[in-house]
Amino acid sequence: MTYTTIDHRPEEPFRPDSPGYEENFSWIKWVPLFLEVVLLAIGVFNLLSATAVEDKSMGLWKNQLVSIGLGVLATAVILIPHYSTFSRLAYTIYAGNIGLLLMVLAFGKTTLGAKRWISFGGLSLQPSELMKVSIVIFLAKYFERINVPGGFRLKDLMLPTLFVLIPVAMILVQPDLGTAMIICLVYGSMLLFQKINPRTLLILATVAGFAAPIVYTTGLKPYQRQRLISFIDPMSDPKGSGYNSIQSMIAVGSGQLTGKGYRKGTQSHLNFLPEHHTDFIFSVFSEEWGFAGCIGLLVLYVFFLSSGLSVAQQSNDKFAMLLSFGILSIFFWHLFINMGMVMGMLPIVGVPLPFMSYGGSAILTAMSGVAILLNIANKKYMF
Amino acid sequence: MAFIGNEEQTRELQDRFKYATLVLILGALILASRLAYLQILSGEQMRQYAEENRIKKVKIPAPRGMLLDRYRRPIVDNRPAFDVIATPQYLKESGRADEVLSRVASLLKVPVSDLKKKLSRAKGQASFLPVSLKENLTRDEVAELETWKLELPGISVEMAIQRTNLHGDVASHVLGYIGQVSPQELSKLNRGQTRKYNLDDVVGKSGLEKEFESDLRGVDGSELVEVDALGRSIQKRETSGRVLVQNREVPSIPGKNLILSIDQDLQDAAVRGFGDKTGGLIAIDPRNGEVLAMISRPSFDPTEFSRGIDSDIWRKLISDENKPLRDKAIQDHYMPGSTFKVITAIAGLEEGVIDENTTFNCTGSINLGNRVVHCHKKAGHGPVNVVKALTKSCDVFFYRLAQKLKSVNDIAKWAFHMGFGARTGIELAREATGLVPTEEWKQKRFGAPWSPGETLYVAIGQSFMLATTIQLANAYAALVNGGTLYRPHLLRAIESADGQILKEFPPQVLEKTSLQKKTIELVTQGLWGVVNDPGGTAHSQAIKGMEFAGKTGTVQVIQIRAEKIFAKCITLPYRNRHHGVFVGYAPIKNPSIAIAVVAEHACSGSMGAAPIAREVIKTYLQKYYPDLYSDSAIAERIRADQRTKNKSFEAPTPREVEE
Repeated sequence: MTYTTIDHRPEEPFRPDSPGYEENFSWIKWVPLFLEVVLLAIGVFNLLSATAVEDKSMGLWKNQLVSIGLGVLATAVILIPHYSTFSRLAYTIYAGNIGLLLMVLAFGKTTLGAKRWISFGGLSLQPSELMKVSIVIFLAKYFERINVPGGFRLKDLMLPTLFVLIPVAMILVQPDLGTAMIICLVYGSMLLFQKINPRTLLILATVAGFAAPIVYTTGLKPYQRQRLISFIDPMSDPKGSGYNSIQSMIAVGSGQLTGKGYRKGTQSHLNFLPEHHTDFIFSVFSEEWGFAGCIGLLVLYVFFLSSGLSVAQQSNDKFAMLLSFGILSIFFWHLFINMGMVMGMLPIVGVPLPFMSYGGSAILTAMSGVAILLNIANKKYMF
Repeated sequence: MAFIGNEEQTRELQDRFKYATLVLILGALILASRLAYLQILSGEQMRQYAEENRIKKVKIPAPRGMLLDRYRRPIVDNRPAFDVIATPQYLKESGRADEVLSRVASLLKVPVSDLKKKLSRAKGQASFLPVSLKENLTRDEVAELETWKLELPGISVEMAIQRTNLHGDVASHVLGYIGQVSPQELSKLNRGQTRKYNLDDVVGKSGLEKEFESDLRGVDGSELVEVDALGRSIQKRETSGRVLVQNREVPSIPGKNLILSIDQDLQDAAVRGFGDKTGGLIAIDPRNGEVLAMISRPSFDPTEFSRGIDSDIWRKLISDENKPLRDKAIQDHYMPGSTFKVITAIAGLEEGVIDENTTFNCTGSINLGNRVVHCHKKAGHGPVNVVKALTKSCDVFFYRLAQKLKSVNDIAKWAFHMGFGARTGIELAREATGLVPTEEWKQKRFGAPWSPGETLYVAIGQSFMLATTIQLANAYAALVNGGTLYRPHLLRAIESADGQILKEFPPQVLEKTSLQKKTIELVTQGLWGVVNDPGGTAHSQAIKGMEFAGKTGTVQVIQIRAEKIFAKCITLPYRNRHHGVFVGYAPIKNPSIAIAVVAEHACSGSMGAAPIAREVIKTYLQKYYPDLYSDSAIAERIRADQRTKNKSFEAPTPREVEE
């Protein structure tokens, strides 16, 4: 064994011992929270427009506000303990989330052909969403004590990959290709961040190249395959599976430079867009706010992510660094895949846009993620 | 200290953040450039796509013109019909399609398998397109479905406009039916047509619906409506009070109404008279050629055709040996039988071979070379003149008359004058011409010379002689109006949808014959006797207190051997039974209705056809001539009856009650 086991717990609050640290960290520590609030506000505002039509009985935006309220509660709860608590509880959290996924498989609620939800009283929860954060905590904890000079080799990856594949497989069965993919991407990002042995990387890439066609023919459900086909050629079935992609691109494009104006988007209001309040929320925004608004939104996300990266970079231990990096990679991949999908660059997979898409579990996950970042950024000064 | 190792590692990882930042910036740039491509470069095009998506030009179908009777009472109208439709996509999304379908089936009292069959037949089409489960729901069924609406996702009740014949199968042949334009006829219809047809348009396929298609058809309007992705129109209230597009509407122009000369009361009387008999009837106003009643039995209900006919019903109509789709008033011709004796009498009188005093002695038969030709009365009628011969329908008289004529061409000449052997020119298509045999015709047709014996048969309306029901009615009309042959017509006027008369149809004279007053007097005297003389062939049909006149005819359908001639018709198989014909008119003075009835296989003119004519004439006289009743008590009762019954309608036009 070439890696060494180390004690991850800080013995005392952080000492500002690196030069220039204070100026940097003091202002940046609340930036993610600030941007989160801004993005959530934009999200609710946008949702008001997106759901104006089908919102007859009760506003979905109210549900969203309730979710945000729960998110605030979760943020408060997460901010109380030191983040090292997550390190201690990492495996428990992982196991608990696996348990929730098992419950979904056993007695989950089926909606639109997928079994993704479990209800507690009146609340429905999507454990696959929470798994994104749980797996990051798990992996941060796992890799914290592992150091492989020259990068991970295959045998180093066996065990963590197995632990990742267990929830991935459970989520694929639901089926929720999007979430499973996000988990895999986050795992891959965390591995690359820590460096993989170049030879191993080459082997992995080759294997992936050979595995892809096999997965395509045997591992995908027909509708998933159809989505891929229609991604490559949306016009092959414009009213069928390519329909969403085309309508979504039309929505984004028709926004032009300045957009059609708030609540004046026709694509969403006239139901040309499916799921326009959840996965395709960005198309509603871009239709109404145009290129200017979209770039503004994109800049906000980039600021949010880079402020998060500063937090990660300047955290004082490996667990915190890996944890914050992992969480940021969740946000990044959500952002990239969702926007890419809405703009017709990527096949359609069910990936929500953080802070903007309607959905309690997604909001809760995003806000919890930010809360963990805040915890890492601020813990030295609290207590 | 263990912490050092951790710090070393974190420092090492800190170096890798520059790559992470790079990836972030790269990702953002990719997204930004895609945004620029979609919104800036192709923005205009995308905006155009979006506009096309949103605003759909929806056709507002123009209401087709109505067909009205002479008192502007609707006969054919557009009525709402309710269908229950299913949208497979919504059914599927609800996740309980089976439950919903069985619920619908029990509400409509149809087997659930029927509904499933209809749904599976529509498997090929896009799942958001509705499938009709049942058409023409009753009021109760609509109510039931609406009550349970919330529990029936994917099921809805839709209203459709249905071309409706308000009197069912009455006069379907005259009125015709409509249907959807078929791909085959589309190019033919649109040739030279400024108002083009589309495949989902309806077009008149027969009868007046076809002949007056260009008048009945309106001009479709259009409306720009906002639709969603499924092409469903968005209700304004659902966009929470905002109207995104000002609805730009081009209103439709309704089709014109046809005011027919038909009197629906007489139509109803005709149907009543026919009962379940087969045949045709036509009543004409002798003073102008207006068709007052025209039916053919059995018939069909055009309403069933208007939205695509059920193949079972169609097959039944096609295979029915009574041919319900044929108009027996104009499309079939028959031997006119004894009703043709009127023409023979006219020919005799006009050609001067007989006069009122000419009598022949009827012994029941005459010898023709080595053959014996019988009168229908075995014992014979004794000495008869032309009036008596018509009254009693004495065959022998007309045989003798025929023998006195130079040739069959003398009969033919007067037959042509009275409108036989040619189409009358009524507004309907596929009218038969009938046949008036001449010597030349036989030579041409059979390459054989006319044999004098054949003239005898023509004289009593048999052998080669063929006439349509409408020709018979029109000939008698010409006789009783003083000798003017009008073109029978069904249309009085065309009016716009708001009731402006656009075009009127004045009477058209086909021929002014040179019939002498004396001839008309003698012949009509004979026809009066048929009904009103105790020895007349149709005396049993006389109306108490009210006179009408006419002539019966009984036509053999097959050659019957001599010994069977007097056998009871009713004992024959149905298809071999004689046709009954009756042609009559009323009132006796200044007749204003001439009527011809052919009752197929009804055995005799007097018992088969005359009662049908009687029913119509009786209705007609009661309605228009209560004062002519000899019994003043009856007249008063009818007048009182008329006052209450006709309150809602305007009184008959002066043209009809005057004279």
